[in-house]
Amino acid sequence: MNRKGYYILGGVLLLAFAGFSLASFKQTLTPYVTFAQARELDRTVQVAGGLEKGSAAYDTQSGTLSFNLQDKASGETLRVAYKGLRPANFDDAISIVAIGRFDAKTKEMQAEKLLVKCPSKYQGAEVTKTYGS
Amino acid sequence: MSYLAHLYLPGALTLWCALLFSVATLWGYAAVLRGDESARSFARRAYTFFAVSVVLCSALLLLALARRDFRIEYVQQYSGLDLKWYFQLAAFWAGQKGSFLIWLLWGSLLGLPLRRAAGKAEAPVMGIYTMTLLGLVFILVRESPFVMLGSTPLDGAGLNPLLQDNWMVIHPPIMFVGFAASAIPFSFAMASLWRRQYDGWAARAFPWALGGFLVLGCAILLGGYWAYKTLGWGGYWGWDPVENASLVPWLFGTAMIHGLYMERTRGRFRRANYVFASLTFLSVLYGTFLTRSGVLADFSVHSFVDLGISGWLIGLMGVFIGMAGLLLALRLREVPAAPNSDPLLSRGSALVMATITITVCALVVLVGTSAPLLTRFLKNPGQVGPSFYNRVNLPIALLVALLLGFVPYLTWRGEEPRVLLRKLLWPAAFAVIATVGAAVAGVHEPLHVAFVLLASLALGANLKKTIEKARANGIGRAGGYLAHVGVGVILLGILASSAYDHGAKVTLEQGVPQKVEDLTLTFERSLPRTATQRERMEVKVERADGTSYLAYPKLFMNDRTRQLMVNPYIRSLTLQDVYFSPIEYDPGQAAGGGQTAELAKGQSMRAGDTELRFVDFDLNADGNAMKAMEAGGPMTIGAVLAVNRGGQEQRVRPLYRFRPSGEVESTPASLPGGGMVAVTGINASNGAVRLDVEGLGSAPAQPAKLSLDVTKKPLIALVWYGLYVVLAGGALAATQRLRQALQFDRLPTKPTS
Repeated sequence: MNRKGYYILGGVLLLAFAGFSLASFKQTLTPYVTFAQARELDRTVQVAGGLEKGSAAYDTQSGTLSFNLQDKASGETLRVAYKGLRPANFDDAISIVAIGRFDAKTKEMQAEKLLVKCPSKYQGAEVTKTYGS
Repeated sequence: MSYLAHLYLPGALTLWCALLFSVATLWGYAAVLRGDESARSFARRAYTFFAVSVVLCSALLLLALARRDFRIEYVQQYSGLDLKWYFQLAAFWAGQKGSFLIWLLWGSLLGLPLRRAAGKAEAPVMGIYTMTLLGLVFILVRESPFVMLGSTPLDGAGLNPLLQDNWMVIHPPIMFVGFAASAIPFSFAMASLWRRQYDGWAARAFPWALGGFLVLGCAILLGGYWAYKTLGWGGYWGWDPVENASLVPWLFGTAMIHGLYMERTRGRFRRANYVFASLTFLSVLYGTFLTRSGVLADFSVHSFVDLGISGWLIGLMGVFIGMAGLLLALRLREVPAAPNSDPLLSRGSALVMATITITVCALVVLVGTSAPLLTRFLKNPGQVGPSFYNRVNLPIALLVALLLGFVPYLTWRGEEPRVLLRKLLWPAAFAVIATVGAAVAGVHEPLHVAFVLLASLALGANLKKTIEKARANGIGRAGGYLAHVGVGVILLGILASSAYDHGAKVTLEQGVPQKVEDLTLTFERSLPRTATQRERMEVKVERADGTSYLAYPKLFMNDRTRQLMVNPYIRSLTLQDVYFSPIEYDPGQAAGGGQTAELAKGQSMRAGDTELRFVDFDLNADGNAMKAMEAGGPMTIGAVLAVNRGGQEQRVRPLYRFRPSGEVESTPASLPGGGMVAVTGINASNGAVRLDVEGLGSAPAQPAKLSLDVTKKPLIALVWYGLYVVLAGGALAATQRLRQALQFDRLPTKPTS
């Protein structure tokens, strides 16, 4: 192969990789959506909200934490189930981001990951912790 | 003038001086460039004064922290009386303003040796370099760390407990040395384009580029340690935006040092190096913008909140993107470039491919990190998680390993495949043995097998070459190969520890053994805090062969914020780490259940058949409390309680002790007829006391429970050892290139090969 051939080959490989990256990007992107959209979309999304007071329950048998996420503006709620340990200070959470997929059968969002923000005395510096893998 | 009244004047003054002198420096060097040679000493002196102002400014902030001068808002926000002295000083870089100041401090200090090292290019290089620092000065003048509060608080808000860690003392300052250093190759590159002096900048910038690469590498290593060893995040790398913000410049810096190597030895990459130097610096600015402007607040574990400086950061970034873009567009075509005439199987071609690969890797991470920003204009902004980075970086890592395996035995003029293979015989044999070993250990996925094969080939080939080169020319010449040995080791460590880690999350009931894979875990007890140790959990770990050891993960409440803190326990073995990360601790309840109440004087509470009434504080429980407080010693306060059980009244006196360090201790008192009462807090404003009563009700006992994440991470130590080797190799190369750069200054001729 001559030099030009190598350049073309290199260019093709780069383009192929760019395509692969773009596809991976689209596939792994978890968009922030509203509760209504989360119920419709059949893909992994993230929703944010506050914890509805008194809605959290932990089932020790199955190791599942379920709670209602409440939209801070509209007050609308979304039931979330998270299989895993109950995050520390969960009841004090001021804001929760749940990443997962809505299950139409159980009418719950099956969360793979929770981002829990707890209040802190520090001005503006809430402490966020991530749970899940 | 109300603005002035709210500033700590000595500090503000030093900042204004820094602004004045940096502008004077620019003015001076501009005059030199117009041909007024007499302005040179003025410009130099102005720069020295600028650096002195910044040093004074930093010293004043440090002094304010040391004196715990809570009148100053920054000191009040990030420090407190309870902090040990080194955390008190480390609060310097705990907030945005202070971290910009330390960046400016290192930047201004680096300018002093740079002024000498820039040689003939002093005026344009120092001019551009000073401009990069001027941006930081502007931000600090605008968002001064010396803003004063209207009153003088008795105590500060304290340092975020997550930051109260020994790594906090060294990791951030080193990171900012790396950030500051990235401006140096950029200044050389821009000055060279601007003045149309296309020769020589590479030789001068090379040691600085290597130095920056080393320092940033060290900082990333320390950050990984911090995350792994004490934060209990489970790994050393989480692809978090803040982590990526330091990785991207490091990757561009890696591409740059390979490009500079090519320029110095072969006269190639002369145009690309300008781009690499620009990208390294601009990615530092961009990362700063991403993590400091608040745009990622909903996406990152630890990005800072918006301070209202987004506009400034965008402006700063815009100026330098504009400068680099303009100069590259106008001048790059003029830069003489040698045509690529290297055959495919030659060192030159391998380096071209390697540099492209590293650049692509940096770009991919950059795009991933920017996802929330890129998708902002779509309907729903989103982010990509670790799975994106892991997936796209796998082919990149494979290609890097492949190139690394061949590059030590490729020559510039090209190599016959046959000759090359003969030279690689021993490394290849080593790679095959390593791969068979890995397959036996459970690595079966084809891509992973290929990964092990190529990474161990890279390790073997570079190790052989390092030894040969060290024997022939001394170890000082083998730095590059040694660094590549380290890359091979890191690649193996990353694959093993991330793709083959395994474990489980378990909840252990106190005293009840539970099996996790081949280990049997028993949560023995919770150990109270001692003078030197935090509260710890004692977990007995029994192996299948009957031997056992005790693990001590830590889980404690921060006294000030009541925030739960965890430190993992790591059992490091040769082949793997066993990682015990505590998740939650439920102390359970003694039989009878517990009850808490806050009582003002005269108020009473009921627990079971018993009534407790808070009578008064006892300030003389252990010497006079007020005097003890004035003397700065521990202060003990007793709570006098009247306990009424079945008509019998008795008095008990649980104690509460404050230490000057901020720690508190509670000594419970037994209740007549069973049960305990302890003081858990005193509310000074209304004279109330918070009580914890146990053992009076009828509820059954609840055992204590500890939730743990237990993970086995095979060969994770290779990641650390590999990075040490990379950094050692880089240090050797930096020394070598520094020597060459100094020679270059003495013999000002055309670049040599």
